[in-house]
Amino acid sequence: MAPVVPRSGDSIFANLEHVNAELFTLTYGAIVRQLITDLEEVDEVNKQLDQMGYNIGVRLIDEFLAKSNISRCVDFKETAEVIAKVGFKMFLGVTASVINWDADGTSCSIVLEDNPLVDFVELPDNCQGLHYCNILSGVLRGALEMVSMKTEVTWVRDMLRGDDVYELNVKLLKQVPEEYPYKDDE
Amino acid sequence: MIVCVAVVGHQNNPLYIQSFTEADDALKLHHIVHCSLDVVDERVNNPKKTGPLLNETFLGLLYPIENFKVYGYLTNTKVKFILVTTDLDVKDADVRNFFRRFHAAYVDAVSNPFHVPGKKITSRTFAERVSTIVKSFGLSSAV
Repeated sequence: MAPVVPRSGDSIFANLEHVNAELFTLTYGAIVRQLITDLEEVDEVNKQLDQMGYNIGVRLIDEFLAKSNISRCVDFKETAEVIAKVGFKMFLGVTASVINWDADGTSCSIVLEDNPLVDFVELPDNCQGLHYCNILSGVLRGALEMVSMKTEVTWVRDMLRGDDVYELNVKLLKQVPEEYPYKDDE
Repeated sequence: MIVCVAVVGHQNNPLYIQSFTEADDALKLHHIVHCSLDVVDERVNNPKKTGPLLNETFLGLLYPIENFKVYGYLTNTKVKFILVTTDLDVKDADVRNFFRRFHAAYVDAVSNPFHVPGKKITSRTFAERVSTIVKSFGLSSAV
């Protein structure tokens, strides 16, 4: 059987159904506004967004692996590249880049120049601690946990706070080997 | 020279007023904008028989006062844009162009999920874009 070639992010993106970008942006904006009205504390909202992202990520990883035919990644570096080039392109339509690898290859930064979630958004003065795109960090964390990698994802730079790009720091905490529910000798 | 631009909501509440002169006559400009609202209501309620039916958004020159001219633009949601200028020879096409770009900037500002409709527009990006549009209006009609 011929080996299945992994498809590039652009070709997968072209074959998926698209939704109107403004509808997507306005819906996400409405979610964040409602969370702020309900929870009132900016830190609580950040945590909720992360939790929502986590729930999305654990489901999204299956769709990602099914549609992209990516074979098993050899190490964390390849994982990060695949996330940035294929994953972000497939689901958000933007290409990210990976920079700032640390010495032992367990921590890197994913940089997004353009982010469809934040079109038209300006943070008001009373929400300055808000990580508006915190759902993305939850999605990455959830997806990687489903492929046996425990990670910590934090925001380094945020365009809504005045920086020039969005930068997410992904740190691999440990690789959890797959556990089988049945012992071999029973 | 554009002296002032204003955005007024559908209940005639001011949403955004910005003056572009150094003189400190903000109150006078507020008055002028307020008076122009009456003219807008009159135009809307008594449409001229010979008036254009399609492009009801651009209301044109509302009225001249002292050395100012006041132009109006009405959106479908009854939000009014008022432009006060001291230029003597202003082309109709320039003003329409100005209002079109102003409308685009307004739509982007209102799409901000943190903006409450009916409250004042506090977006800094909107203010910057309006300044840019105002500056380029002055240049294009200075030919």
